[in-house]
Amino acid sequence: MNKEKISSQEIIDLIASKALISKRAAEEFIKMMIATIEEALLAGDIVKIKNFGTFKLQWNEHRKSVNVQTGEEIILDGYHKVTFIPEASLKDLVNEPFAHLEPVQLDDENNFVISEKHEIEVLDPLRIFTEQASEIKDILSEIQALSVSSKPVALEEQIKDQEQTGIEFELSKKNEPIILDKEKVIEQAIEPTEIISEEPVLIEQEETQIISELTDDKIETSSFLENAKSKNRKIWFSVLIILLLLAGTGSGLYFLYPPAKDFTDSTYLKSKKTILKMSEGVSITDMLNTISSWVTPETKQTPIPETIFIPKDTSAMDSVTEKPQIDSLQYLFDNPRIYREYLGSERINPGSRLTIISKRYYGNKIFWVYIYEANKDHIPNPDNIPVGTLIRIPKVDSKLIDSTNPRCIQKAKELHDIYVE
Amino acid sequence: MNHKELISAISTKMNAPKAVVEKLLETTISTCTELLVDEKTIGFQSFGNFEVRKKMERLSVHPATQIRTLIPPKLVVNFKQSNILKDKLKDLSKNE
Repeated sequence: MNKEKISSQEIIDLIASKALISKRAAEEFIKMMIATIEEALLAGDIVKIKNFGTFKLQWNEHRKSVNVQTGEEIILDGYHKVTFIPEASLKDLVNEPFAHLEPVQLDDENNFVISEKHEIEVLDPLRIFTEQASEIKDILSEIQALSVSSKPVALEEQIKDQEQTGIEFELSKKNEPIILDKEKVIEQAIEPTEIISEEPVLIEQEETQIISELTDDKIETSSFLENAKSKNRKIWFSVLIILLLLAGTGSGLYFLYPPAKDFTDSTYLKSKKTILKMSEGVSITDMLNTISSWVTPETKQTPIPETIFIPKDTSAMDSVTEKPQIDSLQYLFDNPRIYREYLGSERINPGSRLTIISKRYYGNKIFWVYIYEANKDHIPNPDNIPVGTLIRIPKVDSKLIDSTNPRCIQKAKELHDIYVE
Repeated sequence: MNHKELISAISTKMNAPKAVVEKLLETTISTCTELLVDEKTIGFQSFGNFEVRKKMERLSVHPATQIRTLIPPKLVVNFKQSNILKDKLKDLSKNE
């Protein structure tokens, strides 16, 4: 920032050269001007200067303060202060470098930053997972509370089973329905939200994890039959950990995305029944296969595009319902704009913004959407245009870019919301 | 005191026609504006300094709705009175 200070003499010289008068005359004028303003202010008047601003007197009340050295209280007298309030035109001119920036509302509900920057959106999954950490803790305590009550019964059953039959399968069956139920819920919760390509991989990873941990459990149980109680505790603990991991990630997504909630609630009961049926006389691997077969087709069925595009549709509908009367302006709004004539072209430099270009050509930054529309074919992301891109400035109907018409602004804002997703 | 009154006041002081004063005032203001746009500080002796300050971006929370909004940075013009003017104003408050 250039913090060069221009002294009185320098400004007098500048004015003299600009107004083509002698320096002495300019000096005289400046002195007179200041003297007049001062006099008016001292008389308690306010001084308004067109295109510049307003000078005002402000009375600052006396206040208490403390002497830093001695620590005793002193009273600072009240005093008058000259305040200067710049006019809107001066404000805008000075603020030109930042004029394209706008306040951004941060959505508090799911901490999702509706920002114009793409990078933040990329980071979002990470943030969601950190949030889940706290949720996992909550669920952990809940499940522990539950497991304490159900533990004794489950333990006895398991011990009996181990003594009588093939041990491993029965035990795993006892455990598995619970896991599978949970797992099912979780996976279904994940489905609508995760990106399709990543989804199968994620689920498979989770499944393999479960299989490996289950097999560990089996080995333990078969080899240490004598210490069944302590082992069972171990099993329960490891099962709990798996459940928590899955429930944590699942519920995080489950709570964050309401559509998932509805979906899972309906399918939860069905899956539970089928699992109970299947659990008789089927090996673990078979069961896991069947689970994965349930999971994979459903991922394809999940209505991902619907959930994402709902806001868009409704906003479009709102705009239609809000303005039922159709006039020439509405006609312009509704019909797709075709750009044939161009005012010129601009090359994108570092620091260039469509909003700045729009302000220069159309007088308002909000109409950048029309520039974007005309250059849509070679701008994939309006927030990140590669440097060196040549963009054409379309000739837009003057009725459409009327800054004084609130409907034009409204329409441009709607378009803005659509393009900045 | 508005723009017109200021011009007439200056013109009577300088014994110059209003049109001349108006033109001079206009040039002065446009010069000052240009300098301020260049983020330069203008010092008028015995009056005060005009300075451009940068207000940093900040996060504001609406107290009622709890909506958090990121306010972008901006440049504002600031006027600081000189000590000479301050002293004059002190006399004013004493007289009251």
